[in-house]
Amino acid sequence: MRGRMMGHRRRYGALAATLALALGAAACGEAKDEEPATSAGGDETAETTPAKECGTVTINEQAWAGSTANTYIAKAVLEDELGCEVEITKIAEIPVFQAMADGKVDAVLEDWQHTDEYAKYIEEAGTVVDGGPLGVEGHIGWFIPQYLMDEHPEFETWEGLEGQEQLFKTAESGDQGMFLGGDPSYVQKDKELIEALDLDFKHVTAGAEPAQVARWTQLYKQKKPVIFYWYTPQFYNQEYDLAEVQLPERTPDCKDDAKAGGDPEQYKCAYDVTVIEKLFSKKFAESGSPAYDVLKKMKLTNEDQEAVAKAIAGDKEDPEKAATDWIEQNQDKVQSWLG
Amino acid sequence: MAVASGRIAAPAIPAASRRWRSRPAQVLGVVALMLLCFAVARDEIPWPGSLVWAALPDHVDNFQGWLIDQRSAADPNLIFAIFDGIRAFAEWLVNAFTDALLWLTWIGVVAASTLIVLRFGGVRAALTVFAAFVAFALMGLWEPSVQTLALMLAAVSLSLAVGIPIGVWAGRNPRVHRTITPALDAMQIVPAFAYLMPVVILFSVGPAAAVICTMIYAVPPAVRITALGIRGVTADTVEAAKALGATPAQTLFKVQLPLARRQLLLSVNQTIMFALSLVVIAGLIGGRGLGDVVTNGLYSNAALALLAGIAIVIMAIALDRATSAIAERTDPTRRHLTDEGRRRARIATAATFAAIVVIVGLCRALGVADIYPDEFETSTTLYTATIQDQLLDAIQAVLDYVQDPASFVFGITEPIGNFLVEYALEPLRVVLVETPWFATLLGLGAIAWIVSGRRAAITALAMLAAIGVMGVWEPAMDTASQVVVATAIAVALGIAVGVWAAESPRVERLLRPLLDTLQTLPQLVYIIPFIYLMPVSRVPGVVASVLYAVPVVIRLVTAGVRGVPPDAVEAAGAFGASRGQILGKVKLPLARESIMLGVNQGIIMVLAVVVIGGLVGSGALGDAVARGLQRNEFGEGVVASLAILALGIALDRATQSGHGAGRTGGGQPR
Repeated sequence: MRGRMMGHRRRYGALAATLALALGAAACGEAKDEEPATSAGGDETAETTPAKECGTVTINEQAWAGSTANTYIAKAVLEDELGCEVEITKIAEIPVFQAMADGKVDAVLEDWQHTDEYAKYIEEAGTVVDGGPLGVEGHIGWFIPQYLMDEHPEFETWEGLEGQEQLFKTAESGDQGMFLGGDPSYVQKDKELIEALDLDFKHVTAGAEPAQVARWTQLYKQKKPVIFYWYTPQFYNQEYDLAEVQLPERTPDCKDDAKAGGDPEQYKCAYDVTVIEKLFSKKFAESGSPAYDVLKKMKLTNEDQEAVAKAIAGDKEDPEKAATDWIEQNQDKVQSWLG
Repeated sequence: MAVASGRIAAPAIPAASRRWRSRPAQVLGVVALMLLCFAVARDEIPWPGSLVWAALPDHVDNFQGWLIDQRSAADPNLIFAIFDGIRAFAEWLVNAFTDALLWLTWIGVVAASTLIVLRFGGVRAALTVFAAFVAFALMGLWEPSVQTLALMLAAVSLSLAVGIPIGVWAGRNPRVHRTITPALDAMQIVPAFAYLMPVVILFSVGPAAAVICTMIYAVPPAVRITALGIRGVTADTVEAAKALGATPAQTLFKVQLPLARRQLLLSVNQTIMFALSLVVIAGLIGGRGLGDVVTNGLYSNAALALLAGIAIVIMAIALDRATSAIAERTDPTRRHLTDEGRRRARIATAATFAAIVVIVGLCRALGVADIYPDEFETSTTLYTATIQDQLLDAIQAVLDYVQDPASFVFGITEPIGNFLVEYALEPLRVVLVETPWFATLLGLGAIAWIVSGRRAAITALAMLAAIGVMGVWEPAMDTASQVVVATAIAVALGIAVGVWAAESPRVERLLRPLLDTLQTLPQLVYIIPFIYLMPVSRVPGVVASVLYAVPVVIRLVTAGVRGVPPDAVEAAGAFGASRGQILGKVKLPLARESIMLGVNQGIIMVLAVVVIGGLVGSGALGDAVARGLQRNEFGEGVVASLAILALGIALDRATQSGHGAGRTGGGQPR
């Protein structure tokens, strides 16, 4: 028994050692994991400026590719230019407000106007500060594939849809046409719009964005008619040729977020442009970190963000690489944030 | 995971009462009456607005606002100070585990876990663990895997620290048991999405919040199985101990706990499984690790999300095999050690730990910590394409095939999906939603009465009424229609496969890893292909719930059919019954109780997936819960969660078929 145990030990020890030799000799893999400070081995980044000045900055990456793009651009700039250590968290959109209030997350670079939370955390509690617009402008609307628009030029505006709803019929919409609704977590008012415009559409929820994308891209590939809630900036817009259906013009007191409820008539207009905000935790804003100044100045256009997001999510490039590539080609922009 | 087989005792042979035989007829009668009401007053009598407590969501919202105010107050009151203490402790624990695992270096972790399992669990389990850890490293997911493992260790040890004492108490005191059972039910049925936000407000984001969320879900099985174990110690034994003058404490520590040892270890095993199933959701609130990779990958890299999902399954299988092997091997009732054997065992233990120390020491000395094995090199070439990339390419290729609407598979799956919507989901939804509300309410109550008796019927009625009062009658009926369809499919499939597995041990062996995978693979992950393959909302959700529920049904049916006394089978054989006759006339009727339990558990499992369904277009209650978190419609989210709970209790009680046995507790495999 004893002998056997020892034999085991030796054998497994040997196995482990062999593994160590086989794999241990390999070069250090790209350390692309955002590891917590506790585990960070060596800081290879601290070449230019002393790291102490900046310290660790925590940015929250939201769950879509555009946010991955701007978060990694910021990470690369802060690490390479200021010698900061950037940690990336991936907390859901609403809980992240509490995280900023607690100082656990320093910055969110892409917030789509969560006005309820602004009231609670920015205005009332003052634990989160508004960092101004990122420069990216969100736009929500009703989109159809370009091939469909070519076939039916009358779909240019919503009036052209009247009487043509049958075209969009699917198994689940019964005898109505199918309108594919957006991710339920996004700002939307399509049910109300359909009712107010008196269109014969059944609003079908596909669920979270990946599910919705799966649905319309499939119909797109089959060259079938489809109309759906969609938005810009979005990297899929570079992959699929989409056209927008114009909704009634905006009126002064027209609302966008059906969460408020009430009469559908008050939502009867096109969606407004959404200004994407940067948000910082109050602690971070008052810390005097140079990273704050840079992030505050950081600006991106829709094209910038879409291009990087496409590289990451569309072409499956490593986010770090996609970000540094963009930075190399856009030194002028980056320098203006640093100045 | 493979608990069911151990837990189902051979059922007593039920008297084939006439009452039971006529029950299906009675149920059909009630259904016919409901349909009549539907035909007469279709869509004319919805749940009356006067019977709705409309202010409820606002009250819940106000409560949340109050919580935020309290939390950000300058000097928090005592309760919040305690919460802060808990948070600090949980966070410290997770970080300590993470740091310890990273300090050991990856080779050290592999060596330590393999050797420990080898010593206490045997060669097979050790090999499984070894393969699992090597797989994490090769998949390029070492770091997130270690974070998840640390989170698991912290959450599981805290769950056990809380759950076992409560379980012991409940096991010794039936009244305590009765009191806490509803709370345990609620903790398991209320979707995690509903309490994420309050947990975040109380405990902020990060590992601590993730641990708390996991505990809410993982404590109930620990309590239940422990209580079951303590109760399982026969009264005679306890009586004998008392007669010999043992104090209550002595009885507990010297008699009850040692004799319940197997169940206690089983509760460790089940707690781990439950905790793992919450990993993905924990990712939403800063739980880091594999859950993070899954949730983010879903939006930008589905192949990576799938890979991380596979890693979670591997971790689950390894931990399951390791803990059950250890439970088995160290069971004192199974191995009778001599003094000599004991001495040898001690030496083996010492040798194991010495080996671990040596290996870790070597690794640290050689600086293995900085090298992760996601690249490898032969003497001539360095493979820059990592193994992870190749795996991702392979998964992506499968996904691409699935996404192609011209593919062969799609040609089969799409019509099936459409069929389900057109001929099952939609008609049933229409009937449930548009039948006059009182007809639905009373009809379902009557069915509960016929199947499960008066008490169950009263509970079911109360729960359904509560759903109406909360103002979510329509979405709840929509969800109910999906639950019924999913359960029907799961039960049909489960009985067929379960019977087959019971008849053929080889089938059962082959099924085991598949069932394990289905139960631990995060639903968000395996739902991805179905979104493409059956592109009709509601269907992917139904498929996900069927896949999640069917393993339990299969296991319960297999155990039930196996448990049929051989005498009965032999007797039938002696009378010249064919195999089919034995199955249909002897085995299935005798296994009825297990099969009904399968139906009952199937419903509960299906309900557990409702929220995930909401994320892929099932709408109804699941959608409201998901939105509650994501859009901060907190009040609505909580109300919808309570409705899911009420629906769960109603359906559970209605399908217990009049036997107390239906109330199984947390022992069910998930």
